[in-house]
Amino acid sequence: MTLDPIKPAFDPVTLAIPLFVITIVGEIILGRLRKAKAAYEPRDTATSLMMGLGSNIAGLLTGAVVIAAVVGVWQFRIFDIPMTAWWAWVAIFFLEDLTYYWFHRLSHERRFWWASHVNHHSSQHYNLATALRQTWTGGIAGTWLLWLPLALIGFPPAMIAIQKGISLVYQYWIHTEAIGKMPRWFEAVFNTPSHHRVHHARNPRYLDANYAGILIIWDKLFGTFIPETDEEPPRYGLVKNLGDFNILRVAFHEWIGIGKDLMTARSPREVLGYLFGPPGWSPDGSRETSKTLKAKWLARQEAAKEPAPPLAAE
Amino acid sequence: MNAIVIQLLGSAVAVAAMVGIAAWARIPRPCPALDEAAAREILAVEYPDHPVGAVWLAADGAGAIARSGDLALVIGRLGDSWVSRDLPWDRALASEIRGGRVRIRTADSGAPRLDLAVSGVNPWPPEHERDLAA
Ligand SMILES: [Zn+2]
Ligand SMILES: [Zn+2]
Repeated sequence: MTLDPIKPAFDPVTLAIPLFVITIVGEIILGRLRKAKAAYEPRDTATSLMMGLGSNIAGLLTGAVVIAAVVGVWQFRIFDIPMTAWWAWVAIFFLEDLTYYWFHRLSHERRFWWASHVNHHSSQHYNLATALRQTWTGGIAGTWLLWLPLALIGFPPAMIAIQKGISLVYQYWIHTEAIGKMPRWFEAVFNTPSHHRVHHARNPRYLDANYAGILIIWDKLFGTFIPETDEEPPRYGLVKNLGDFNILRVAFHEWIGIGKDLMTARSPREVLGYLFGPPGWSPDGSRETSKTLKAKWLARQEAAKEPAPPLAAE
Repeated sequence: MNAIVIQLLGSAVAVAAMVGIAAWARIPRPCPALDEAAAREILAVEYPDHPVGAVWLAADGAGAIARSGDLALVIGRLGDSWVSRDLPWDRALASEIRGGRVRIRTADSGAPRLDLAVSGVNPWPPEHERDLAA
Protein backbone atom coordinates (compact mmCIF):
# COMPACT_ATOMS: atom_id res chain seq x y z
CA MET A 1 0.00 0.00 0.00
CA THR A 2 1.27 3.48 -0.81
CA LEU A 3 0.06 6.55 0.98
CA ASP A 4 0.63 10.07 -0.26
CA PRO A 5 2.86 11.66 2.37
CA ILE A 6 1.62 15.17 1.57
CA LYS A 7 -2.05 14.99 0.64
CA PRO A 8 -4.06 13.16 3.34
CA ALA A 9 -5.90 10.10 2.03
CA PHE A 10 -8.92 11.20 4.09
CA ASP A 11 -10.01 13.97 6.44
CA PRO A 12 -11.36 12.55 9.71
CA VAL A 13 -13.36 15.72 10.43
CA THR A 14 -15.17 15.71 7.06
CA LEU A 15 -15.94 12.01 7.47
CA ALA A 16 -17.36 12.69 10.93
CA ILE A 17 -19.83 15.41 9.84
CA PRO A 18 -22.75 12.95 9.47
CA LEU A 19 -21.88 11.59 12.92
CA PHE A 20 -21.99 15.14 14.34
CA VAL A 21 -25.47 15.70 12.90
CA ILE A 22 -26.89 12.37 14.05
CA THR A 23 -25.51 12.62 17.59
CA ILE A 24 -26.61 16.25 18.09
CA VAL A 25 -30.14 15.33 17.02
CA GLY A 26 -29.89 12.27 19.28
CA GLU A 27 -28.78 14.35 22.27
CA ILE A 28 -31.64 16.81 21.73
CA ILE A 29 -34.21 14.01 21.48
CA LEU A 30 -32.85 12.23 24.57
CA GLY A 31 -33.04 15.56 26.41
CA ARG A 32 -36.59 16.11 25.20
CA LEU A 33 -37.59 12.61 26.38
CA ARG A 34 -35.79 13.32 29.68
CA LYS A 35 -33.64 10.23 29.13
CA ALA A 36 -30.44 12.27 29.39
CA LYS A 37 -29.26 15.55 30.83
CA ALA A 38 -29.16 17.97 27.91
CA ALA A 39 -30.15 21.63 27.59
CA TYR A 40 -30.35 23.48 24.27
CA GLU A 41 -31.15 27.15 23.71
CA PRO A 42 -31.88 27.49 19.96
CA ARG A 43 -30.07 30.81 19.49
CA ASP A 44 -27.06 29.50 21.41
CA THR A 45 -27.14 26.35 19.27
CA ALA A 46 -27.34 28.42 16.08
CA THR A 47 -24.32 30.46 17.18
CA SER A 48 -22.29 27.35 17.98
CA LEU A 49 -23.07 25.64 14.69
CA MET A 50 -22.52 28.77 12.60
CA MET A 51 -19.16 29.24 14.31
CA GLY A 52 -18.34 25.68 13.24
CA LEU A 53 -19.35 26.35 9.66
CA GLY A 54 -17.45 29.64 9.61
CA SER A 55 -14.37 27.95 11.04
CA ASN A 56 -14.49 25.53 8.15
CA ILE A 57 -14.50 28.44 5.69
CA ALA A 58 -11.75 30.31 7.56
CA GLY A 59 -9.71 27.09 7.44
CA LEU A 60 -10.04 26.99 3.65
CA LEU A 61 -8.66 30.53 3.44
CA THR A 62 -5.60 29.97 5.65
CA GLY A 63 -5.21 26.25 4.93
CA ALA A 64 -2.98 26.73 1.89
CA VAL A 65 -0.43 28.74 3.87
CA VAL A 66 -0.40 26.22 6.71
CA ILE A 67 0.05 23.26 4.34
CA ALA A 68 2.84 25.07 2.47
CA ALA A 69 4.63 25.76 5.77
CA VAL A 70 4.35 22.16 6.97
CA VAL A 71 5.53 20.78 3.64
CA GLY A 72 8.33 23.36 3.53
CA VAL A 73 9.64 22.35 6.95
CA TRP A 74 9.25 18.65 6.13
CA GLN A 75 11.78 19.13 3.26
CA PHE A 76 14.38 19.62 6.01
CA ARG A 77 13.27 16.59 8.04
CA ILE A 78 15.72 14.88 10.37
CA PHE A 79 14.34 11.35 9.93
CA ASP A 80 12.43 9.60 7.17
CA ILE A 81 9.36 8.31 8.95
CA PRO A 82 7.29 5.88 6.85
CA MET A 83 3.53 6.42 6.94
CA THR A 84 2.92 2.68 6.73
CA ALA A 85 4.78 1.75 9.94
CA TRP A 86 2.57 1.02 12.97
CA TRP A 87 5.13 2.50 15.36
CA ALA A 88 5.03 5.78 13.47
CA TRP A 89 1.29 6.07 14.21
CA VAL A 90 1.86 5.24 17.89
CA ALA A 91 4.58 7.87 18.06
CA ILE A 92 2.54 10.60 16.39
CA PHE A 93 -0.46 9.76 18.58
CA PHE A 94 1.53 10.68 21.69
CA LEU A 95 3.57 13.53 20.19
CA GLU A 96 0.58 15.22 18.53
CA ASP A 97 -1.39 14.95 21.77
CA LEU A 98 1.49 16.51 23.71
CA THR A 99 1.65 19.31 21.13
CA TYR A 100 -2.09 19.81 21.51
CA TYR A 101 -1.74 20.10 25.31
CA TRP A 102 0.77 22.94 25.02
CA PHE A 103 -1.17 24.64 22.22
CA HIS A 104 -4.27 24.54 24.40
CA ARG A 105 -2.47 25.73 27.53
CA LEU A 106 -0.90 28.64 25.63
CA SER A 107 -4.34 29.44 24.23
CA HIS A 108 -5.65 29.97 27.76
CA GLU A 109 -2.67 31.49 29.51
CA ARG A 110 -1.70 34.20 26.98
CA ARG A 111 -4.18 36.75 25.72
CA PHE A 112 -3.04 36.89 22.08
CA TRP A 113 -3.89 33.22 21.61
CA TRP A 114 -6.85 33.36 23.99
CA ALA A 115 -8.37 35.94 21.61
CA SER A 116 -8.60 33.17 19.02
CA HIS A 117 -9.64 30.34 21.38
CA VAL A 118 -12.10 32.28 23.59
CA ASN A 119 -14.96 31.70 21.15
CA HIS A 120 -14.93 27.97 21.93
CA HIS A 121 -15.67 28.84 25.57
CA SER A 122 -18.21 31.58 24.93
CA SER A 123 -21.35 29.45 25.29
CA GLN A 124 -23.06 29.13 28.65
CA HIS A 125 -24.18 25.72 27.46
CA TYR A 126 -22.24 22.48 27.34
CA ASN A 127 -23.62 20.14 24.74
CA LEU A 128 -22.47 18.47 21.53
CA ALA A 129 -23.21 21.64 19.56
CA THR A 130 -20.76 23.55 21.79
CA ALA A 131 -18.01 21.23 20.51
CA LEU A 132 -18.46 22.69 17.02
CA ARG A 133 -18.05 26.30 18.25
CA GLN A 134 -14.60 26.54 16.69
CA THR A 135 -12.25 29.44 16.07
CA TRP A 136 -12.22 31.63 12.97
CA THR A 137 -8.92 33.29 13.75
CA GLY A 138 -6.63 30.37 14.62
CA GLY A 139 -4.81 30.72 11.30
CA ILE A 140 -4.02 34.36 12.07
CA ALA A 141 -3.05 33.65 15.68
CA GLY A 142 -0.44 31.27 14.26
CA THR A 143 -0.81 28.47 16.79
CA TRP A 144 -0.41 26.01 13.91
CA LEU A 145 3.32 26.82 14.09
CA LEU A 146 3.46 24.55 17.14
CA TRP A 147 2.87 21.53 14.90
CA LEU A 148 5.84 22.31 12.65
CA PRO A 149 8.38 20.46 14.85
CA LEU A 150 6.53 17.22 14.07
CA ALA A 151 7.29 17.82 10.38
CA LEU A 152 10.88 18.69 11.20
CA ILE A 153 11.28 15.40 13.07
CA GLY A 154 10.07 13.74 9.89
CA PHE A 155 6.39 12.90 10.25
CA PRO A 156 4.81 13.31 6.79
CA PRO A 157 2.41 16.29 6.48
CA ALA A 158 -0.51 13.98 5.65
CA MET A 159 0.10 12.02 8.83
CA ILE A 160 0.11 15.17 10.94
CA ALA A 161 -3.12 16.36 9.30
CA ILE A 162 -4.85 13.02 9.87
CA GLN A 163 -3.78 12.78 13.52
CA LYS A 164 -4.90 16.39 14.14
CA GLY A 165 -8.27 15.47 12.66
CA ILE A 166 -8.54 12.32 14.79
CA SER A 167 -7.87 14.42 17.91
CA LEU A 168 -10.56 16.95 16.96
CA VAL A 169 -13.10 14.20 16.32
CA TYR A 170 -12.19 12.52 19.63
CA GLN A 171 -12.79 15.77 21.48
CA TYR A 172 -16.24 16.12 19.97
CA TRP A 173 -18.05 13.47 22.00
CA ILE A 174 -16.79 14.71 25.37
CA HIS A 175 -18.83 17.93 25.07
CA THR A 176 -21.90 16.54 26.83
CA GLU A 177 -23.65 16.51 30.17
CA ALA A 178 -25.45 13.32 29.19
CA ILE A 179 -22.50 11.19 30.33
CA GLY A 180 -21.55 11.39 34.01
CA LYS A 181 -18.33 9.49 34.58
CA MET A 182 -16.69 6.86 32.42
CA PRO A 183 -15.16 3.71 34.02
CA ARG A 184 -12.41 4.61 36.45
CA TRP A 185 -9.52 3.28 34.30
CA PHE A 186 -10.81 5.33 31.38
CA GLU A 187 -11.08 8.52 33.44
CA ALA A 188 -7.50 7.94 34.61
CA VAL A 189 -6.01 7.85 31.11
CA PHE A 190 -8.33 9.62 28.69
CA ASN A 191 -9.94 13.03 28.43
CA THR A 192 -13.62 12.54 29.26
CA PRO A 193 -16.88 14.52 29.47
CA SER A 194 -16.23 14.98 33.20
CA HIS A 195 -12.67 16.29 32.74
CA HIS A 196 -13.66 18.59 29.90
CA ARG A 197 -16.70 19.97 31.76
CA VAL A 198 -14.17 21.25 34.29
CA HIS A 199 -12.22 22.81 31.43
CA HIS A 200 -15.33 24.70 30.24
CA ALA A 201 -16.33 25.81 33.75
CA ARG A 202 -16.14 29.42 34.93
CA ASN A 203 -16.18 28.55 38.64
CA PRO A 204 -12.94 29.98 40.07
CA ARG A 205 -11.92 26.59 41.45
CA TYR A 206 -12.01 25.07 37.96
CA LEU A 207 -10.27 27.83 35.97
CA ASP A 208 -7.24 27.02 33.80
CA ALA A 209 -7.40 23.24 34.12
CA ASN A 210 -7.61 20.10 31.98
CA TYR A 211 -6.04 21.23 28.70
CA ALA A 212 -5.91 17.67 27.40
CA GLY A 213 -6.79 16.62 23.86
CA ILE A 214 -7.14 12.83 23.93
CA LEU A 215 -5.03 11.84 26.95
CA ILE A 216 -5.55 13.44 30.37
CA ILE A 217 -2.10 12.21 31.45
CA TRP A 218 -0.45 15.47 30.31
CA ASP A 219 -2.48 17.52 32.80
CA LYS A 220 -1.51 15.12 35.55
CA LEU A 221 2.12 15.29 34.47
CA PHE A 222 2.28 19.09 34.24
CA GLY A 223 0.12 19.90 37.25
CA THR A 224 -3.00 21.29 35.57
CA PHE A 225 -5.44 18.48 36.38
CA ILE A 226 -8.53 19.29 38.45
CA PRO A 227 -11.23 16.63 38.94
CA GLU A 228 -14.95 17.45 38.75
CA THR A 229 -16.56 17.31 42.18
CA ASP A 230 -20.20 16.67 42.98
CA GLU A 231 -20.36 19.53 45.52
CA GLU A 232 -19.71 22.11 42.86
CA PRO A 233 -21.31 21.53 39.46
CA PRO A 234 -19.58 23.44 36.65
CA ARG A 235 -21.11 26.69 35.47
CA TYR A 236 -20.17 27.11 31.83
CA GLY A 237 -18.90 30.00 29.77
CA LEU A 238 -16.56 32.91 30.33
CA VAL A 239 -15.63 34.66 33.54
CA LYS A 240 -17.48 37.61 31.98
CA ASN A 241 -20.09 36.14 29.68
CA LEU A 242 -21.02 37.67 26.35
CA GLY A 243 -24.08 39.89 26.18
CA ASP A 244 -25.63 38.51 23.01
CA PHE A 245 -25.51 35.65 20.47
CA ASN A 246 -23.93 37.69 17.66
CA ILE A 247 -21.39 35.44 15.89
CA LEU A 248 -19.20 38.41 14.97
CA ARG A 249 -18.97 39.31 18.65
CA VAL A 250 -18.15 35.70 19.49
CA ALA A 251 -15.43 35.58 16.83
CA PHE A 252 -13.81 38.97 17.34
CA HIS A 253 -14.66 40.51 20.74
CA GLU A 254 -11.34 39.72 22.40
CA TRP A 255 -9.36 40.97 19.40
CA ILE A 256 -11.36 44.21 19.62
CA GLY A 257 -10.66 44.32 23.35
CA ILE A 258 -6.93 43.98 22.67
CA GLY A 259 -7.13 46.76 20.08
CA LYS A 260 -8.93 49.09 22.50
CA ASP A 261 -6.39 48.38 25.23
CA LEU A 262 -3.42 48.94 22.91
CA MET A 263 -4.80 52.40 22.07
CA THR A 264 -4.43 53.32 25.75
CA ALA A 265 -1.02 51.68 26.28
CA ARG A 266 1.62 54.15 27.49
CA SER A 267 4.80 52.04 27.35
CA PRO A 268 6.28 48.99 25.60
CA ARG A 269 5.68 47.08 28.85
CA GLU A 270 1.95 47.83 28.63
CA VAL A 271 1.84 46.84 24.96
CA LEU A 272 3.48 43.50 25.78
CA GLY A 273 1.22 43.00 28.80
CA TYR A 274 -1.97 43.63 26.86
CA LEU A 275 -0.84 41.35 24.02
CA PHE A 276 0.92 38.49 25.77
CA GLY A 277 0.01 38.81 29.43
CA PRO A 278 -2.58 36.46 30.87
CA PRO A 279 -6.18 37.28 29.87
CA GLY A 280 -7.37 40.06 32.19
CA TRP A 281 -3.89 41.55 32.61
CA SER A 282 -3.91 45.30 33.30
CA PRO A 283 -1.07 47.71 34.15
CA ASP A 284 -2.44 48.47 37.62
CA GLY A 285 -3.80 44.98 38.28
CA SER A 286 -7.34 46.35 38.57
CA ARG A 287 -8.85 43.64 36.35
CA GLU A 288 -9.39 40.04 37.31
CA THR A 289 -7.21 37.23 35.95
CA SER A 290 -7.65 33.50 36.58
CA LYS A 291 -4.96 33.79 39.20
CA THR A 292 -6.65 36.58 41.20
CA LEU A 293 -10.04 34.87 40.92
CA LYS A 294 -8.55 31.62 42.21
CA ALA A 295 -6.75 33.41 45.05
CA LYS A 296 -9.98 35.12 46.14
CA TRP A 297 -11.82 31.83 46.00
CA LEU A 298 -9.14 30.18 48.15
CA ALA A 299 -9.30 33.04 50.64
CA ARG A 300 -13.07 32.59 50.93
CA GLN A 301 -12.59 28.86 51.49
CA GLU A 302 -10.08 29.55 54.26
CA ALA A 303 -12.32 32.19 55.84
CA ALA A 304 -15.25 29.79 55.84
CA LYS A 305 -13.14 27.17 57.64
CA GLU A 306 -11.96 29.48 60.43
CA PRO A 307 -14.14 29.80 63.51
CA ALA A 308 -15.98 33.11 63.81
CA PRO A 309 -13.98 35.71 65.77
CA PRO A 310 -15.23 36.51 69.27
CA LEU A 311 -17.69 39.40 69.32
CA ALA A 312 -15.73 41.58 71.72
CA ALA A 313 -11.97 41.62 71.99
CA GLU A 314 -10.21 42.79 75.14
CA MET B 1 -13.69 22.93 -5.56
CA ASN B 2 -17.18 21.69 -6.37
CA ALA B 3 -16.99 19.10 -3.62
CA ILE B 4 -16.15 21.80 -1.08
CA VAL B 5 -19.08 23.97 -2.15
CA ILE B 6 -21.43 20.99 -1.93
CA GLN B 7 -20.06 20.11 1.50
CA LEU B 8 -20.54 23.67 2.76
CA LEU B 9 -24.06 23.91 1.36
CA GLY B 10 -24.92 20.54 2.87
CA SER B 11 -23.51 21.66 6.20
CA ALA B 12 -25.55 24.87 6.08
CA VAL B 13 -28.75 22.88 5.50
CA ALA B 14 -27.81 20.55 8.35
CA VAL B 15 -27.18 23.53 10.64
CA ALA B 16 -30.63 24.93 9.87
CA ALA B 17 -32.21 21.54 10.53
CA MET B 18 -30.40 21.06 13.86
CA VAL B 19 -31.37 24.55 15.05
CA GLY B 20 -34.96 23.81 14.03
CA ILE B 21 -34.96 20.57 16.02
CA ALA B 22 -33.41 22.34 19.03
CA ALA B 23 -36.22 24.94 18.85
CA TRP B 24 -38.87 22.25 18.47
CA ALA B 25 -37.59 20.28 21.46
CA ARG B 26 -37.94 23.25 23.83
CA ILE B 27 -35.32 22.06 26.30
CA PRO B 28 -33.68 25.27 27.54
CA ARG B 29 -32.66 25.56 31.17
CA PRO B 30 -35.41 26.87 33.39
CA CYS B 31 -34.79 30.61 33.75
CA PRO B 32 -37.84 32.15 35.46
CA ALA B 33 -38.38 35.88 35.98
CA LEU B 34 -36.33 37.19 38.88
CA ASP B 35 -37.67 37.90 42.32
CA GLU B 36 -35.43 39.51 44.89
CA ALA B 37 -34.23 36.23 46.39
CA ALA B 38 -33.30 34.82 42.99
CA ALA B 39 -31.47 38.01 42.04
CA ARG B 40 -29.51 37.90 45.29
CA GLU B 41 -28.59 34.28 44.69
CA ILE B 42 -27.18 35.08 41.25
CA LEU B 43 -25.34 38.16 42.53
CA ALA B 44 -23.79 36.12 45.35
CA VAL B 45 -22.35 33.73 42.77
CA GLU B 46 -21.23 36.44 40.35
CA TYR B 47 -19.89 38.85 43.00
CA PRO B 48 -19.02 36.74 46.04
CA ASP B 49 -16.81 39.44 47.56
CA HIS B 50 -19.30 42.30 47.15
CA PRO B 51 -21.88 42.93 49.91
CA VAL B 52 -25.19 43.68 48.20
CA GLY B 53 -27.71 46.21 49.51
CA ALA B 54 -31.28 46.48 48.32
CA VAL B 55 -32.00 45.21 44.82
CA TRP B 56 -33.90 46.94 42.01
CA LEU B 57 -35.75 44.51 39.76
CA ALA B 58 -36.58 45.08 36.11
CA ALA B 59 -40.33 45.29 35.47
CA ASP B 60 -40.36 41.99 33.56
CA GLY B 61 -38.01 40.20 35.94
CA ALA B 62 -35.41 39.87 33.17
CA GLY B 63 -32.75 41.79 35.04
CA ALA B 64 -31.72 43.51 38.23
CA ILE B 65 -29.45 46.28 39.48
CA ALA B 66 -27.94 46.20 42.94
CA ARG B 67 -25.73 48.69 44.71
CA SER B 68 -22.51 47.59 46.34
CA GLY B 69 -20.58 50.58 47.65
CA ASP B 70 -19.67 52.75 44.68
CA LEU B 71 -20.57 50.03 42.21
CA ALA B 72 -23.75 49.03 40.42
CA LEU B 73 -23.95 45.28 39.90
CA VAL B 74 -26.17 44.51 36.92
CA ILE B 75 -27.60 41.22 35.73
CA GLY B 76 -29.62 40.69 32.57
CA ARG B 77 -31.17 37.66 30.92
CA LEU B 78 -29.68 36.25 27.73
CA GLY B 79 -31.72 33.37 26.36
CA ASP B 80 -31.97 30.91 29.24
CA SER B 81 -28.94 32.26 31.14
CA TRP B 82 -27.75 35.38 32.94
CA VAL B 83 -25.04 37.89 32.11
CA SER B 84 -23.54 40.21 34.71
CA ARG B 85 -21.57 43.43 34.55
CA ASP B 86 -20.60 46.18 36.98
CA LEU B 87 -20.12 49.90 36.54
CA PRO B 88 -19.83 52.98 38.76
CA TRP B 89 -23.09 53.56 40.63
CA ASP B 90 -23.28 57.17 39.45
CA ARG B 91 -23.09 56.07 35.84
CA ALA B 92 -25.85 53.53 36.36
CA LEU B 93 -28.04 56.28 37.90
CA ALA B 94 -27.37 58.53 34.92
CA SER B 95 -28.06 55.82 32.32
CA GLU B 96 -30.40 56.83 29.55
CA ILE B 97 -33.95 55.53 29.53
CA ARG B 98 -35.49 54.94 26.14
CA GLY B 99 -38.51 52.89 25.07
CA GLY B 100 -39.26 51.99 28.69
CA ARG B 101 -35.82 50.50 29.23
CA VAL B 102 -32.82 51.69 31.16
CA ARG B 103 -29.86 51.26 28.84
CA ILE B 104 -26.86 50.11 30.83
CA ARG B 105 -23.67 50.55 28.79
CA THR B 106 -20.24 49.23 29.68
CA ALA B 107 -17.01 49.76 27.79
CA ASP B 108 -16.03 46.11 27.32
CA SER B 109 -16.40 44.54 23.90
CA GLY B 110 -18.06 41.39 25.26
CA ALA B 111 -21.30 42.84 26.62
CA PRO B 112 -21.71 46.49 25.84
CA ARG B 113 -25.52 46.53 26.17
CA LEU B 114 -27.88 45.49 28.94
CA ASP B 115 -31.38 46.98 28.56
CA LEU B 116 -33.68 46.50 31.54
CA ALA B 117 -37.43 47.20 31.57
CA VAL B 118 -38.61 50.07 33.74
CA SER B 119 -42.20 50.56 34.94
CA GLY B 120 -44.13 53.11 36.99
CA VAL B 121 -44.10 50.78 39.97
CA ASN B 122 -40.32 50.48 40.00
CA PRO B 123 -38.95 53.53 38.23
CA TRP B 124 -35.30 54.01 37.42
CA PRO B 125 -33.48 55.70 39.04
CA PRO B 126 -35.16 54.34 42.16
CA GLU B 127 -37.13 56.97 44.07
CA HIS B 128 -35.56 56.09 47.37
CA GLU B 129 -31.99 55.68 46.33
CA ARG B 130 -31.07 55.36 50.01
CA ASP B 131 -32.97 52.07 50.11
CA LEU B 132 -30.49 50.66 47.64
CA ALA B 133 -27.40 51.71 49.55
CA ALA B 134 -25.31 48.81 50.70
ZN1 LIG C 1 -9.99 25.63 25.99
ZN1 LIG D 1 -14.21 22.15 24.55
